[in-house]
Amino acid sequence: MSPRRTADSGRIDRSRQIRFSFDGANYSGHPGDTLASALLASGVSLFGRSFKYHRPRGVMTAGIDEPNALVTVLKGDGREPNIPATMLEIYDGLTVVSQNRYPSLAFDVGAVNGLAGKLFSAGFYYKTFMGPVFGPLKGTRFWMFCEWFIRRAAGLGRAGYAADTARYERVNAFCDVLVVGAGPAGLMAARAAAEQGRRVILADLDTRLGGSANWSDETIDGMAATDWVASAIADLSGRDNVRLLPRTTVWGYYDNNTLAALERVTDHKAKPETGEPRHRSWTIRAGSVVLATGALERPLVFPGNDRPGVMLAAAAERYAVEFGVLAGERAVLFTNNDRAYRSAAALARAGARIATIVDVRDTVSAAARRLASECGAELLAGRAVVATDGRRQLSGIAVRAFDARSGTVSGDARNLAADCLLVSGGWSPALHLASQAGARPRWDSGLQAFLPPEPTQNWIAAGAVAGAYSTAEVLRQGLETGRMAAGSADEDDGGLPLAADDELDPNPAPVFEIRADGKAFVDHQHDVTADDVRLAYREGFVSVEHLKRYTTLGMATDQGKTSNVPGMAIMAAAVGKPIEEVGTTRFRPPFAPVSLGSLAAERHGHLKPERLTPMHDWHVANGATMFTAGLWFRPQIYGLPGETIEQAYVREAKAVRDGVGIVDVSTLGKIAVQGPDAAEFLDRVYTNMFSTLAVGKARYGLMLREDGFAYDDGTTWRLGETEFLMTTTTVNAGKVMQNLEYCLDVVWPDLKVHLTSVTDEWAGAALSGPKARQVLEACVTGTAVDDATLPFMGIVRGEIDGVPVTICRLSFSGELAYEVYCGAGHGTHVWETLMEAGELFGIVAYGLEALGTLRIEKGHVTGAEIDGRTTARDLHLDWMLSKKKPFIGSAMMDRDGMTGPGRLELVGVVSLDGRPLNGGAHIVESSNPAAPRDSIGHVTSVCYSPALRKYISLALVEDGKARLGTRAFVSDPVRKRFGPVELVSHHFFDPEGKRLHG
Amino acid sequence: MAEPLSPLQPVWQPGRHGNLSGGAGVVLSETRPASIVQVAAWPGSERAVIAAIRAATGLALPDGAGGGVAAATKAAFGVAPGRFVVVDQAEGLEGELRSRIDAATGSVTGLSHGRTAIRVDGPKAEWVLSKLFAVDFGLTALPVGSGVATQHHDVLAQIQRTGAMRFDLYVFRSLSRSFWKTLCHAAEDVGYEVI
Amino acid sequence: MSEFTYQGEAGRQRPDPASTDRAAWDAYVYDRLNPAGEHNELWQHSGGCRAHLVVTRNTLTHVISSVAFAREAGRAHSAGRRGKGARS
Repeated sequence: MSPRRTADSGRIDRSRQIRFSFDGANYSGHPGDTLASALLASGVSLFGRSFKYHRPRGVMTAGIDEPNALVTVLKGDGREPNIPATMLEIYDGLTVVSQNRYPSLAFDVGAVNGLAGKLFSAGFYYKTFMGPVFGPLKGTRFWMFCEWFIRRAAGLGRAGYAADTARYERVNAFCDVLVVGAGPAGLMAARAAAEQGRRVILADLDTRLGGSANWSDETIDGMAATDWVASAIADLSGRDNVRLLPRTTVWGYYDNNTLAALERVTDHKAKPETGEPRHRSWTIRAGSVVLATGALERPLVFPGNDRPGVMLAAAAERYAVEFGVLAGERAVLFTNNDRAYRSAAALARAGARIATIVDVRDTVSAAARRLASECGAELLAGRAVVATDGRRQLSGIAVRAFDARSGTVSGDARNLAADCLLVSGGWSPALHLASQAGARPRWDSGLQAFLPPEPTQNWIAAGAVAGAYSTAEVLRQGLETGRMAAGSADEDDGGLPLAADDELDPNPAPVFEIRADGKAFVDHQHDVTADDVRLAYREGFVSVEHLKRYTTLGMATDQGKTSNVPGMAIMAAAVGKPIEEVGTTRFRPPFAPVSLGSLAAERHGHLKPERLTPMHDWHVANGATMFTAGLWFRPQIYGLPGETIEQAYVREAKAVRDGVGIVDVSTLGKIAVQGPDAAEFLDRVYTNMFSTLAVGKARYGLMLREDGFAYDDGTTWRLGETEFLMTTTTVNAGKVMQNLEYCLDVVWPDLKVHLTSVTDEWAGAALSGPKARQVLEACVTGTAVDDATLPFMGIVRGEIDGVPVTICRLSFSGELAYEVYCGAGHGTHVWETLMEAGELFGIVAYGLEALGTLRIEKGHVTGAEIDGRTTARDLHLDWMLSKKKPFIGSAMMDRDGMTGPGRLELVGVVSLDGRPLNGGAHIVESSNPAAPRDSIGHVTSVCYSPALRKYISLALVEDGKARLGTRAFVSDPVRKRFGPVELVSHHFFDPEGKRLHG
Repeated sequence: MAEPLSPLQPVWQPGRHGNLSGGAGVVLSETRPASIVQVAAWPGSERAVIAAIRAATGLALPDGAGGGVAAATKAAFGVAPGRFVVVDQAEGLEGELRSRIDAATGSVTGLSHGRTAIRVDGPKAEWVLSKLFAVDFGLTALPVGSGVATQHHDVLAQIQRTGAMRFDLYVFRSLSRSFWKTLCHAAEDVGYEVI
Repeated sequence: MSEFTYQGEAGRQRPDPASTDRAAWDAYVYDRLNPAGEHNELWQHSGGCRAHLVVTRNTLTHVISSVAFAREAGRAHSAGRRGKGARS
């Protein structure tokens, strides 16, 4: 048994040992220990080195507010830095290293920073490294020189490079009442709400529910507070309408009473169970919220207040009572308030020696004096600690007379031996969530604390966060707020447990800092001293927000939980204004650090959704290289062994022109447009006329945006008098659907039209090439497919091997071509049947590259040309602009600048040097490759054309229609490409369209 | 005619998986109804459409948003104002409905291939689905028979509660394989059985 | 991906489709209110029932004070306009 363990107190399980390592040394603790409590019990006082000065630091708190004792946990190849030792539950095999020390924690070369104190004062980085260069040692160049050393010396933990293999998940929860914080107030509120039959969630960031009742040594309802907690938890766990979430930090309060919480599910386990995540990110939508988040004790600021062994009084109390660990053997309490006397008394009961109590107040209440004599401590009233001594561990302190009104010290110093200094500077309500969902916090000059603001959302505060410090009052508030949150008007006090009223004065003396020689730390985590705050003020940073950014006070992982209020008080004193006029920073989420993994959760890695066509597995099994288009996976090429991408698509495209090819077009957006007004609707959204389209016919359509630019194109098939099947481009499918829905809901609510996405209902295969019809003839039954029955843009229905199919004769390749649609579940079967029937005709499956090549050869535009800046006229689609009716975009499409000279117009480009063209390359007139200038346009889509045996592209070129037949140059400096090209008609191949009609 | 292929086929692994220390928390299956049909009414003709659904299936839909009814081999539920999903294990439902609903009353859209029907059944069904959807799956908020249209990231889903602990999900076919993998992953901690 | 998609300001009046009033079209296509306070907005339940909703939201507090189906609001409105003899 370690000398620092108490005889029997605490929630730890002394019957079992847990072994772990810290900086390579082996230690042991008990189940229920945190790393901090286990190391303290083993006599470890040095936990880390400070951020800038590399000063030795110990553990200051017992919870989430810890600024000093941050460690890195090593697990497998991963490292998780900046974990507060106070929140880390130990388990067998836990491996932890300290941070920000080199080469070792005990001997740290960076500690010389401590000697060069001035160097790192407030604004050091701005002053030294920003701005102009004066000589060799200033400005940004100097920064570049120093950066490596400074980054190594200053900072927090180092992140790992290994991929995080842990599992994370997200959960949505709905409840009537969310109670945040499971101390006496939260437990009471949860029970009161649960008794009203409401769905209740009770979350607490600690492992064990109960909050301060776990270490207060009080009596509630005639029993020990811990027993009362146990019975309350037993009652809540037995209810179906209550969910208890220990180890769960509610970290964000968002709109509409939506709160975010992080559950640390398996951080305390050596190995998670199957399927168990490391962290679970909760999104909780609550009818109302009870904030019972308690209060955080704050330290006093005095020289040497960061020495290991200086600890918050309540933290030491908690270590003694809850963990059975004494923070020291000879302790001194330094306080400005009565409440801390209870901590001293608890430590004394647990077996520590409280030698002295130093109180900044010259008069101390009788109740506090009683507690002082109970501990057998000498009481030094009207005194203050002005210095501490010791190297890696406190050995003594110096005390001088102190006038709390003027804040001045006087008289001779008296030295006292101590290995532990308990400090209490009063309490700050943990109003972070309240601040996120409220107005400005208000300052209570009695409690010397900010209290929760007026709510802007549906929450109520209960307990210490609301400024209630006596347990009787806390329980009463819990009961009342729980009922209120549950919407109950019950005022019966019957359920209220009895607790003694506190005789101690809750109000601390308004003392935050003892000014004497030496570094006095306000923000321990970022090494911001009281002098830094005053320096910032002298340099003109009078706003709290500026102070924060200039000194970095309150930043970093603890977000200033222990330092915000002292920092503001020191600022207020410097400015000469009351604290409430200096203001407070608004708290933003997160309350405590949140793992990025928990936010990404199931979107990570193999769980990212993939959108697959019905024939996907066939493509993969038949050698396709898959290519993503949005979420869709599409075959890029079906490469043969040894083929390059270009060789493959050239072979595939040639096969289409020479014989027949088949391509999966299932990804095209397909929208069922149904209803008596469907034709009228299409007339309004397409530039061309659809009401005149006969049933059983398809038509190519173009849509513009309201501002007159081209938007999307596709074919629409009239399947019945009131039924159309619209197709869109793959990438625009979602956007077009949304836009059409907008038109029906908002612009023309009177039209009787229904839209339904049927993209996934139909598998689509396009069959192209001079022999396409022969393939169909070989396998389609129930209909003829000859030119008379199935003319260009005609539609027939038939069967392929018993599967009903709809066939439309349309073409984007310029060849005789058909699109064959069937129910998606039959897609692979129909595809295979077509392949079989096509075998005789040398059918080839082709991918996106060949599809692109065929359409470029024909000058068909797609997303690269319909880029949001081109008009129908720019794209030679004037013929599709109906003059007989208005349509979306018709009023705006011909306004100034949209027509006339200077427009970028679609042209074809032929490479004259036999080298490939690149998408995005500029077209220039200057022949000087060294000084390419005056771009007249850019290349949009490129390919090698097997039909022309040349590298060609489509391009958008200024006044391109007038430049056909002229020469220019492509300039692509980034990819080092310059060369001559000819500008030609975009109809490269078969401009008369003879092949189409086969 | 050949059986339609299930998009889940390559990832469908019958048997028990995950953490089975407490038994299988959910049973996952693809119900493969032969008919999934969307019926949509024009404003004012909702009652006529509900009557037509009743005549075609025998299912009496309540009048109101999100309401629904589930029988052994048939189900119907509201997914949007005036829009219903009607499901039958047997073929032919689309024709039945088309014969009863003319263009003046509403529209009928066949989705038997386009949606994949996935059943999540068991004491942990609410828990597993809560990981994927921001929907209150409590029995009071979503009573048996009723439905909801929502999404898991890019995956739109129409969900009907067909039992106290049973939910039928209709997701886009092209995304259903990914969704199934995600669903299985989400069910690992409570154990699941695929049938 | 969010379950609801913002679809712009609600209540804008599209000019008569045959209108050639450039100023009216410019205003419809480009002008948007950006009030600090109550704002009528269109939100589509894109990850659900696909309906557009007219939502009155306070841009300062994010408090939503009313929600209605856009289609119903639009029909009521156009019925009103018809009543006044205007072309719908």
